[in-house]
Amino acid sequence: MLETLQLMGQGFISALSILNLLAMIGGVALGIVIGCLPGLSAAMGVALMLPLTFTMPADTGLIVLGAIYCGAIFGGSISAILIHTPGTPASAATAIEGYQMTLNGQAGKALATACWSSFWGGLLSCISLYFFAPMLAQLALKFMSAEKFWLGIFGLTIIAGVSSKSIVKGLMSGALGLIISTIGLDPIDGTKRFMFGQAFLAEGINTTCALIGLFSMSQVFILAEKEIKKRAKAAKFSDRIALTKEERKKIRPTVIRSWIIGNIIGILPGAGASIACFMGYNSAKQFSKHKEEFGHGAIEGVAGSESANNAVTGGSLIPMLTLGIPGESVTAVLMGGLIIQGLAPGPELFTKHAAMTYTFFAGFVLVQFFMLAIGMLGCRGFAQISRLSDAILIPCVTVLCVIGSYAIHRNMSDVIIMLIFGALGYLMRKFDLNTAAVVLALILGPISEKGLRGALRVSDGDIACLFQSPVSWVLIILSIVGIFSPFLMEKFEKKVTGGEVLDEE
Amino acid sequence: MKKYLALLLALCMVFALCACGQSEAPAEEAPAEEAPAAEDAGTDAAATEGWAPDGPVTMIVSYAAGNGTDVTARILAQYAEKYVGQTIVIENVDGGSGSIGWSQLAAAEPDGMTIGFMNLPNFNSSIVNELGTYTTDDFTAICNHVTETSLVIVRADDERFPDIDSLVAYAKENKTVASTNGAQASNHIGAQAFANSADFVYTDLPMGNTADELTSLLGGEADWCVAKAADIAGRTDVRVLASFSTERLPDMPDVPTLGEKGYYDQWLGSSRCVVAPAGVSDEVVAFYEAAFKATMEDPDYLAAASEVATDYKDAATTAALIEEQQAFTEGLSEGFWYE
Repeated sequence: MLETLQLMGQGFISALSILNLLAMIGGVALGIVIGCLPGLSAAMGVALMLPLTFTMPADTGLIVLGAIYCGAIFGGSISAILIHTPGTPASAATAIEGYQMTLNGQAGKALATACWSSFWGGLLSCISLYFFAPMLAQLALKFMSAEKFWLGIFGLTIIAGVSSKSIVKGLMSGALGLIISTIGLDPIDGTKRFMFGQAFLAEGINTTCALIGLFSMSQVFILAEKEIKKRAKAAKFSDRIALTKEERKKIRPTVIRSWIIGNIIGILPGAGASIACFMGYNSAKQFSKHKEEFGHGAIEGVAGSESANNAVTGGSLIPMLTLGIPGESVTAVLMGGLIIQGLAPGPELFTKHAAMTYTFFAGFVLVQFFMLAIGMLGCRGFAQISRLSDAILIPCVTVLCVIGSYAIHRNMSDVIIMLIFGALGYLMRKFDLNTAAVVLALILGPISEKGLRGALRVSDGDIACLFQSPVSWVLIILSIVGIFSPFLMEKFEKKVTGGEVLDEE
Repeated sequence: MKKYLALLLALCMVFALCACGQSEAPAEEAPAEEAPAAEDAGTDAAATEGWAPDGPVTMIVSYAAGNGTDVTARILAQYAEKYVGQTIVIENVDGGSGSIGWSQLAAAEPDGMTIGFMNLPNFNSSIVNELGTYTTDDFTAICNHVTETSLVIVRADDERFPDIDSLVAYAKENKTVASTNGAQASNHIGAQAFANSADFVYTDLPMGNTADELTSLLGGEADWCVAKAADIAGRTDVRVLASFSTERLPDMPDVPTLGEKGYYDQWLGSSRCVVAPAGVSDEVVAFYEAAFKATMEDPDYLAAASEVATDYKDAATTAALIEEQQAFTEGLSEGFWYE
């Protein structure tokens, strides 16, 4: 215990180095820019910036990515409030009350509410990161082949289910990812599979290339096929970006409620910030003492949505860091960043690499403060960026996609893979398939396969070995719940959004 | 307004480009201060041989930045610049189980400006598994840098196996599982060589990397495994039963060798050597051989590399080692593995 406290303290000391502080400021500012640009989501932003971190020390690299993540989730609220277009899907619920406030001439107050509640949501989510992550990492030591198999299956079912509108399409996307994950040397016998004599495929499709293609490049194609239109003018506003003491007090219970909701959603694989914001908004509405304000610009509505989506950030890191199960697309990208630094998710992050991990955690805490400061001071400037024309955005993102995928191995073959996945992602989105499920299946497929074949090898092919430990059973039950979750989610979404369709990208 | 926005995004891009080139940047800055010292050292170390690089030397590492090989290569490169007299730029060309980097090294101009690291026995396995089109003839050995000896280990609290003989006796009567770092990877080769020599049958469990291999052992899924000394340095939760060497290891005097217990009696482990593409002149080899020998004896290097199992071997010995490991790895295909 004392040792852990010491590690936490040392984490803060190393996080306060000049380089790390610059990383936080740069990351948050970049994240807010990405977030407030409609068309660029948090996952895409982190994927684009991932190659920047290759040459940084591991802790600084992760802090940059974490800062972009938090910044982007908050940044989405700026365009949601000012131009009624959520910058990222995570701010979809913010647009409801936020834009009403803008129409009432309270845009400054709405932005201040978004900033203040994002800060508290993010900060409080760090508590669970500090407490649950090391605990879960201990549990991960008990995960042998059979448990790893079920862990992969659990991740796949819940992801295919929760993140898709249709269970069949979700499962199809997952299956496609699984097929792609078989490319390369097989993990047990070392047999070459679908390599066609190409040595660069020996270690399988590079996940980072795949996700830059699926998330970022495909978005370029989607943007490019539309006629480039001028965006709505950002509302001019004159009121100060500040909250009074009474207002802060008024949103306090909402923030705490949304923190708990967002955090739990974050820890559960599958559901992400875009679902959390609606849940946070809905609970704010239900418990509010001023229900009549809702629909006409309620600050509690903005607070409920924005603290919930930022509370997801800390929670969603937990399963990724401890079990190697990224719960949503942003954490899948972050996991890519971790692996490129030579760090594998799992218990070693809290033993051998504890210094690095606690520096990252401390950085994550400090990032929230920078988000508050930069958000409060820079809202007016960021508001202008949200109107950036696609004509500028498209070539810039394309260049970043190509540079990013080339930088991984300094190899053109990765760029080709990225472009193939960009085209694949475009087609998938046209057919309403789920690109995030492909990436997650690409990560989880090998874990499951290794687990299943390893377990059967140890037991001499006796399938009973898969059903022996209590952990296996817990995961089996969770997987069954995962399969049926789309039905539950559908009911739930109808309830909170009143039938409005949720865009999961 | 739009202009500013365009400028801002353009700046982002420039930032990205800079970062891509950054892996080379620090190395380029560092030697500027050391250059004068390097010239002095260069004269007595190797310049008398008649060849010296006239620009930055590229050193290809076939694994990603931050990997074990990369870390040790960077330490060597940092201190070798003093003796080489030029910047040494580490280029990480990973992928294809190392074969991408080795293909690139084999194809490089043999002018002495490009050298690289060769990891044994992974390099040999990549030839056997036909991952690259190169052979050992496509490389010229310069020297050996690191040698890590394999060990047989069990859990520290496993009372069944107080020593190596008890493990063999148990394994002959019962099924045992040994986790490995991958199918036909170094620790699998070790486990198989030990089992063959002790005449027992076991089940191998490929985990893909050494960290997971040890987790599997500690979690009780595997009964024993083979790992390298550096992988278990400082660990108290495993017990070393024997080493794959011809004499007892200096820092483990109580651990018997497999040979003295009547089992596998050859050295087994992994080596990291410095090599050049085939076709480099003898002067080039002699220059680097002398420069790296001086580096590996440098007190500053030794202080920085206290956790690295540095083991200098000259060019001729290293060349023989590469051939020997190649013959050994190729020989494994016949009757070595279980069907």
